[in-house]
Amino acid sequence: MKLLVVEDDATTGSYIARGLREEGHVVDLIENGKDGLIAATSGKYDVLVLDRMLPQVDGLTVLKTLRGSGNRTPALMLTALSDVEDRIEGLQSGADDYLAKPFAFGELSARIHALARRPQALDAETILRAADLEMNLITRQVTRGGVSIDLLPREFALLEHLLRRKGRVQTRTMLLENVWDISFDPGTNVVETHVSRLRAKVDKPFERELIETVRGAGYRIAE
Amino acid sequence: MTYRLRQLWRSMPLRLAILLVALFATVSLLGLAASYAVTQSSFEQSIRASLRQDLAGFRAAPNARAVAILVEAESREADPNRLILSYIAPNGRIYGNGAIAQDDEGFHIFSLERGRAEFTGNYLSLTDALYGGVITIARSRAEIVALRAVFVNILWISLLPTVLIALSGGLILARRSKRHVEVVGSALDQMTSGDLATRVEIGPRWSDDLVQIGGKVNQMAGAQEAQMRALRGVSSDIAHDLKTPLQRVALCLEDLNAQIDKDSEEAVLISKMQQEVEGMGEVFRSLLQLAQVEAGSPRARFETVDLAKICRTVVEVFEPSAAASGHILTFTMETDTAVIKGDQALIGQMLSNLVENALRHTSEGSDVTVSLAKADGKILLRVADTGPGIPAVEHDKVLERHYRLDRSRATAGHGLGLSLVAAIVALHDGTLTLEDNAPGLEVTLRFDA
Repeated sequence: MKLLVVEDDATTGSYIARGLREEGHVVDLIENGKDGLIAATSGKYDVLVLDRMLPQVDGLTVLKTLRGSGNRTPALMLTALSDVEDRIEGLQSGADDYLAKPFAFGELSARIHALARRPQALDAETILRAADLEMNLITRQVTRGGVSIDLLPREFALLEHLLRRKGRVQTRTMLLENVWDISFDPGTNVVETHVSRLRAKVDKPFERELIETVRGAGYRIAE
Repeated sequence: MTYRLRQLWRSMPLRLAILLVALFATVSLLGLAASYAVTQSSFEQSIRASLRQDLAGFRAAPNARAVAILVEAESREADPNRLILSYIAPNGRIYGNGAIAQDDEGFHIFSLERGRAEFTGNYLSLTDALYGGVITIARSRAEIVALRAVFVNILWISLLPTVLIALSGGLILARRSKRHVEVVGSALDQMTSGDLATRVEIGPRWSDDLVQIGGKVNQMAGAQEAQMRALRGVSSDIAHDLKTPLQRVALCLEDLNAQIDKDSEEAVLISKMQQEVEGMGEVFRSLLQLAQVEAGSPRARFETVDLAKICRTVVEVFEPSAAASGHILTFTMETDTAVIKGDQALIGQMLSNLVENALRHTSEGSDVTVSLAKADGKILLRVADTGPGIPAVEHDKVLERHYRLDRSRATAGHGLGLSLVAAIVALHDGTLTLEDNAPGLEVTLRFDA
């Protein structure tokens, strides 16, 4: 993917850029809002990563100007603020996602992948598959290698979420937002325990593990 | 309706109007009464004078017989509606156009009524003894009676419209001033609910005192808004200045972690450092959130919040962690609905802090119960556990920022959890009480339904 990172803190910016390049992306790093806006206007990027507080032109203004000119490139806003109000303001100005500092690189990478407009399993699809796992969304039956697996409603929703985004890492905050629809932080290891319950049913009785843990980031079902 | 009337009655302009009307009515009534009394007595005087003159005429007669003839002659010409003459001669015969005899000599006022007399009316009579008989002359008081009617008419014509006009004027003024006061009131309400950008819109027809009050309110709101903005600026600067280096550290650690052997001693150290960095980020986040909640700014985006839904979600989210640590976490709903005005995310944060606290500070096998109930028009949200509890003397202290009980020092947490809960409860105009669950701790939050 071709990514634009606009971040005024040189250290953070270069780490992000390097990390993303190591993942195989092409990254342009710019340190101020004005040049960032000019670069973003070219429209050649798949995802924009914008710091909210930038010298000259701040991130919100960059995004508003960009959206005002009809540019719809998916944008991820980075911010030192994490208040709900700031989040709402960020999303209203046209950000597609919002990430509070300090963040782990894995979280950033996972969110960038989630934003990139890659085709995901269509809503119309009724059967989701991964290896020998099959999930029927109509009969709500889950089988693996022909063996039926009983799942609680939320376990079903969690597995469906991971299956629809096969190959992409889902972080714990992404899962909390999308599977439980909560925007606050319940702390500790609530997501981990839910995933380990799901694993106990979906993975443990079988030979191959489907749900992978991505260190420092989250979970993924391999493609 | 009666409530609105009572409200209106208590308004200042209406009260003033009524007071003025009462004063005006009293003065006019007194004036009218005085002039009526003066006019009436002058009429009476003139009637009395005529009566005395009449009597003097009859006295001029030489004897009773002459009086009788004179009375007969005069009464033939007199209109009994105006003048009644009556002479009871010494032999008992009655002369005149009406038999009216008074026992006492002197002036009397009497009325003749239909049925008992040939004609009706109100008369003033003069009775006197004359040559062994009794003469009574009565003149009609019709003019005086008419005078009273005239005065009553004057009263109706002049006073009633005045009273009505003054009263409706007062009502209109009262309603207008009520509207103006309501404008100030609703602006203040909005400011209280966190919208500091609101201003009192002063109308062109407002009275001077209200214009002044409105101006002062706006001045105050402006000052407060500027302060809030400064505070927000400071907190976002702090957030930015502290989180940027923290971000660098976090990314450096990740980088380092990727370069070394996963099972080495260094990796363990790095993972510890990463946890610490994450913890620091969390403390910053909590502090910033606390500052913003205490400043009341989230009030502007309050919406209808279903507490039951939040309780179910939080309990469901925590259930596997609770089970893993040997706790029994349950939710009981003791009411049909529990809906309040508030901030969804903050209430979720509040409840998860409470549940997390309960799970963290109680030992394996303890029960943690979240329940919703209604009592005295309030919604009660309880989180109760069967753990060691908190001594009553320390109940107040645990709500203070950074306060942690000695025995909980060993466990994780930064002491902000409960103060954030208390701040969120206060933001929602609720109350928080800690009680002994015998054994354990029961935290009760009360909200207006």
